[in-house]
Amino acid sequence: MTARYGMVIDLDRCTGCGACMIACAAENNVPPAAPRATWRTGVTPMLVHTLSNGKEGVDRREAFLPIACMQCEHETPCVSVCPQQAVELDKSTGIVMQMPQRCLGCRYCMTACPYHARYFNWWDPQWPPGMEHSLNPGVSVRMRGVVEKCNLCHARYHDALQKAAAAGKKEIDLADYVPACVEACPTGAIAFGNLADPNDPVTLAAKSPDAFRLLEAIGTEPKIHYKTTQAWIRALADRKAARPTEAQHV
Amino acid sequence: MKFSRRDLLIGTAGATAGIVFTPVPWKLLGDVSIWSQNWPWIPQPAHGPIETTLSACTLCAAGCGMRVRMAAGFPVGISGVANHPLTKGALCPLGYAAHQLNWHPARLLQVRHSGRASSWPEAQAALAAACAEGPIAVVDGRPGRAASLTLETFAAKRNGSYQTVLGPETQALAPYAAWSGVPASALGYDLENARTIVSFGAPLLDGWGTPGRFTRLWSARAAGQSDPQLRLIQIEPVLSHTAARAWRWVAVREGTQDALAAALARVLVEEHLVKAQGPLPEMTLEQAAVQAGLPIAEIRDLAHAMVEHGPTVVITSDGDPAVAALNVLLGAIGTPGGISLKSKVSPQHGAASTASAKFRATLLDASVPWDLIPPTQGEVFRFAAWDGGGSKADWLLPSPGFLEELTDIPTAPTSATETYTIATNLLAQPQETQTAAQFLRKIDASLADVDKSIHARCEQIFQVKLGTIYAGQTKPVSQFESAAKMEEQLRKGGVWLGESPRNATLHCTLKTWPATSAPASPTDWTSSWAPPVLPPLASKLYQESTVREAPAGRPA
Repeated sequence: MTARYGMVIDLDRCTGCGACMIACAAENNVPPAAPRATWRTGVTPMLVHTLSNGKEGVDRREAFLPIACMQCEHETPCVSVCPQQAVELDKSTGIVMQMPQRCLGCRYCMTACPYHARYFNWWDPQWPPGMEHSLNPGVSVRMRGVVEKCNLCHARYHDALQKAAAAGKKEIDLADYVPACVEACPTGAIAFGNLADPNDPVTLAAKSPDAFRLLEAIGTEPKIHYKTTQAWIRALADRKAARPTEAQHV
Repeated sequence: MKFSRRDLLIGTAGATAGIVFTPVPWKLLGDVSIWSQNWPWIPQPAHGPIETTLSACTLCAAGCGMRVRMAAGFPVGISGVANHPLTKGALCPLGYAAHQLNWHPARLLQVRHSGRASSWPEAQAALAAACAEGPIAVVDGRPGRAASLTLETFAAKRNGSYQTVLGPETQALAPYAAWSGVPASALGYDLENARTIVSFGAPLLDGWGTPGRFTRLWSARAAGQSDPQLRLIQIEPVLSHTAARAWRWVAVREGTQDALAAALARVLVEEHLVKAQGPLPEMTLEQAAVQAGLPIAEIRDLAHAMVEHGPTVVITSDGDPAVAALNVLLGAIGTPGGISLKSKVSPQHGAASTASAKFRATLLDASVPWDLIPPTQGEVFRFAAWDGGGSKADWLLPSPGFLEELTDIPTAPTSATETYTIATNLLAQPQETQTAAQFLRKIDASLADVDKSIHARCEQIFQVKLGTIYAGQTKPVSQFESAAKMEEQLRKGGVWLGESPRNATLHCTLKTWPATSAPASPTDWTSSWAPPVLPPLASKLYQESTVREAPAGRPA
């Protein structure tokens, strides 16, 4: 069966703790920030933004918006512009795959991505001496000069596939495939599941009236859904995704 | 046939054209791109058999359950334990990168004396000499451990002083300890039964207590609900991460939380919202409102909100008695959903204290916060696994790092029930390091060995037959065949949970409204984190994202 892995991120539950960012980086062997790295020049496949209603004093409200690759299903912008075929939409999982070995570092995909969810390795990946012993053996380290992004912890998907194969099954048990950010979220704000399964809780959550997707109007059909009961958060989320560097107010 | 120059050119051209139709150039292109991804200076992960082990985090007093992935003998990943009874699968953000700490550039692996390299025998000789010359103080930052027994016994045998430094969350329970006569370490919060929590600046959603305990509770009972089962009222001058997610945020003026507490007390008693008749603060409602910078109507509304959805408990960040007294008025002492008293299987310890000038030497265990500088003229022996910089210690003694030490973890601060966990050393202890207990045993071999003390503690838990052990599944202690079998489960990452709180026996009496205490020094999001350094990946939070402020004095 063809799966369509995706998430529903409940913004009302996100406390902005950043556990998803650290767990993602540790799982995927993302190096610590280089001395001059910023949100745009560093590598943060999962990045939490702060949303504010722009008011001061007691009227001020804040919320947090985690943004990773949206795993666009339709006319995936990064796939269509890559001259190297270094990005492809995996037909069996719906995961937008990035192959650093093919990437020549032109960064067309970064320009094309409407969600600013792709990052370029401006520096050689570096850890303090000896710390390479703490790297995850399931994920190779990407070198300077290539683009990377969230691939829904594909190494964990492979592990789940291997486990299923060892048990003589063709399909994975979804309990064996949980991305690091989902596992790390202390409030359970990030739910992961198979959107192709109509009975999956994530599919049902994605269809709730409070659910929405970022920049839905451009028709890329992202598989990362969001959820909030607060109208102001929903109003700001789109604008923050489109223009992350600008302060967005209701 | 003669081979001409023309034949050579035709052959070369043909071979060049033909090779395009073979896999060779494409294979070479692929290989080159793979080689160019793997320059020798690009770090390669260690490879080897992967094992997953359960353990507990020792980097703060919470003792969160951890699932550690090991490859080639090294920890390569950390995650929470999904059904852990205390942490419910959660860890603090820094915990996910804690396995990198042992390679932090600030790692201490050399004995230092006055900034110069020294040796363990010299340090031993210096402490032995100090002990012969006068009394010493031994300071423990995490009392109640097996190692604490060794430290306490050493101090007692030399007419010294064993002193403890309690964490901010235990310190916040100090007023109730003073009013009830029960040690603060025996008290906790029965959050699971509370329906309204009024937090005076406590970062409940930001690492307070055991990180997973309240966040999971809040997520299930409050997040995103306009009329939640659990109401979180955050009273804080700034919009913190907790305030941003609270059901209600009250922006009180900086440093006037005691005035707001006084105003609330007046409304609660004068409008008969609580059964208690007093005591009452001297400050009038009007005076308190002006001081707190809040309208009287808002204070009245807040007082009504505090009682309309009980049980209600007030939590302070710094243990200000003037705020803690609200719990006495609310009847939240020794009642479900309030301040609770744990069962008393664990050893209990007294109030915090710090070394005074009269001691010849002060020994600081690695669990003592790095920034604690004892006010002493004597020699200071400081154990630490990482150098936080600017140390005033005469002797800097390297102690084992993360997962390198066998230790036990007594009840987590703020927990309503007693707990006990053993964190075994998954990594070999570096030979350059010693724990304070190992060091003292080299001076006095009669002191208790940590391993044996842990064993004795397990025997004690087995003998009382109370509580349950969680190690993948829950099993009552009474169902274990022997203490050894129970200990085996604990050493494999299990956790012991004691009996329910003994609420009925806890009473606080308050004759007069208490005076406010001096405000505690401001804390940041790393305050609960014991090491003086952060894992390098922490830079993701404050450099590559704006979700956090860069912590002062804690390098990543």
